[in-house]
Amino acid sequence: MLADALGTAGRAATGRTGALPVLSGVRLVLDGNQLSVTGTDLDLTIQLTVEVGGEADGGVVLPARLASDIVRSLPAGKVELEVSDDNVHVSGGRSQFTVRPLSIDDYPKLAAPTTSATTLPAAEFGEALRQVVRAASTDDARPILTGVLFSAEEDGLRMVATDSYRLAVRDLPGQQALANAQRVLVPGRALGELARLVGGGADLVMRLGDRDASFEVGSTRLTTRLIDGEFPNYRQLIPADHPNLLTVERDALLDAIRRVKILARESTPVRLAMGGETLRISAITQDVGNASEELDAEFRGTDLVVAFNPDYLIAGVEACTGEHVTLATRDGMKPAVLRGQDAADYLYLLMPVRVPGS
Amino acid sequence: MRLVIARCSVDYVGRLTAHLPEAVRLIMVKADGCVAVHADGGAYKPLNWMNAPNTVTYGDQTWVVTNPKGETITITLHEVLSDSDHHLGEDPGLRKDGVEAHLQELLAASPQAIEDGMVLVRREYPTAIGPIDLLCRDADGRAVAVEVKRRGEIDGVEQLSRYLDRLRLDSSLGEVRGVFVAQQVKPQAKLLAESRGFRVVQVDYDELRGVRPDELRLF
Repeated sequence: MLADALGTAGRAATGRTGALPVLSGVRLVLDGNQLSVTGTDLDLTIQLTVEVGGEADGGVVLPARLASDIVRSLPAGKVELEVSDDNVHVSGGRSQFTVRPLSIDDYPKLAAPTTSATTLPAAEFGEALRQVVRAASTDDARPILTGVLFSAEEDGLRMVATDSYRLAVRDLPGQQALANAQRVLVPGRALGELARLVGGGADLVMRLGDRDASFEVGSTRLTTRLIDGEFPNYRQLIPADHPNLLTVERDALLDAIRRVKILARESTPVRLAMGGETLRISAITQDVGNASEELDAEFRGTDLVVAFNPDYLIAGVEACTGEHVTLATRDGMKPAVLRGQDAADYLYLLMPVRVPGS
Repeated sequence: MRLVIARCSVDYVGRLTAHLPEAVRLIMVKADGCVAVHADGGAYKPLNWMNAPNTVTYGDQTWVVTNPKGETITITLHEVLSDSDHHLGEDPGLRKDGVEAHLQELLAASPQAIEDGMVLVRREYPTAIGPIDLLCRDADGRAVAVEVKRRGEIDGVEQLSRYLDRLRLDSSLGEVRGVFVAQQVKPQAKLLAESRGFRVVQVDYDELRGVRPDELRLF
């Protein structure tokens, strides 16, 4: 339990401490039998409370990675932490560790969020996060694209992310989490961490402020700074209609792409040849070899070949729900739309890769 | 530089002994005395080599290379296929940031990529503390100092500030403003640049080069 708490909070602690080395640590504060564990890099904060057997109240900051490694390595059972003047003694079973703590006085004071709360169903929200965050950019050179847009729509909440190669849009109908026409940009990194925290059952409490957002799941609270800026006008990117529509079994498609991808090396795309009742997936890497596989499929439209980055394609198919997925295309150069069949609440728009003849 | 392609065998005696059996190889004898024996593959290490200072004794069929430590490489030439000598002259050294220089060159050729209506006055415009990358005039005729970086970091913004302080001493230029151009700009550098009134422009190197990437983008 302590190992999980240290690991979770430690993911918000930073390795790049700059002027504040204490940020490489996790803060442990004992109050009665409640141990609060906090990690922060000032952009993202994760705080958990765990039930422990407390003997004396107090606080300490331990190097995050070291503390997590130590506690994780101990045999299952009780772990004791004892703080003396200059050291923290960690013991479990017959193992003893002594660690020099970081200065708790330097640890930033983190205010609890005060904005009003909205409750969301954790399972549905968690699934939406997993579907959308994957399309957010991780390139800090374009900070706006590292965020996920939360926007209020007429019939609920919409989440949108794009890295300029793909775009994921998920609607959560009936969820009025934002004020009318409100739009906020939440860092994808924070939402990726949140997706790991969200389990199946409990509700999730969201608080959106002007500069920060916080999410509470059980006894864990994640707080993140919001991204300031204008999200691209994504609506104009979604084509109104497509002349070609492929329907194929989702799991069979995923397995086939993964197999063919073995021969899609050095940024080689996979090619999807659509026509008749067959989908042919292939990859050719010069001087290495080639792979191809055929799948049964339903296809309506004009026969065509479209090539995609295999990782982006796999990410899109994985994110779709249902037994079958549909891939709507116009030609080899225009964005394609992936959806789960009969799942109107999610779409994954993906740009093809130019290949000879496309 | 002497380049010999020969069917040869090589024996090294020193810290250990090594033998290269007879095969066709390239033997390089550089102007500084370094000797290297290459096979037809790999770009990094020769099969056998000896750094200068050393002494090469050329026999009819055998070359012996000896260094001050007493290590020797004996090259036995069974058949010489090619033997040529070239004077390479002084090497200018490795230019580590070719991209940055090329970026400056491309922007000098297309200053409108920085801003509509921008025209180039001079590339490498001299100041007392060194040349500013580009001096341009904007659509309103105002002088614009442009600092070009591959990665836009705080140092680059400071550099542009120093150049502007110098340029503003030159009354013939009139009012001068600054533009910080980079392929990627760090958020801290952007904040600092904008707080000093500079415009920050991110440019796409491939687009400037006219390279059409295979990966199409949504926007």
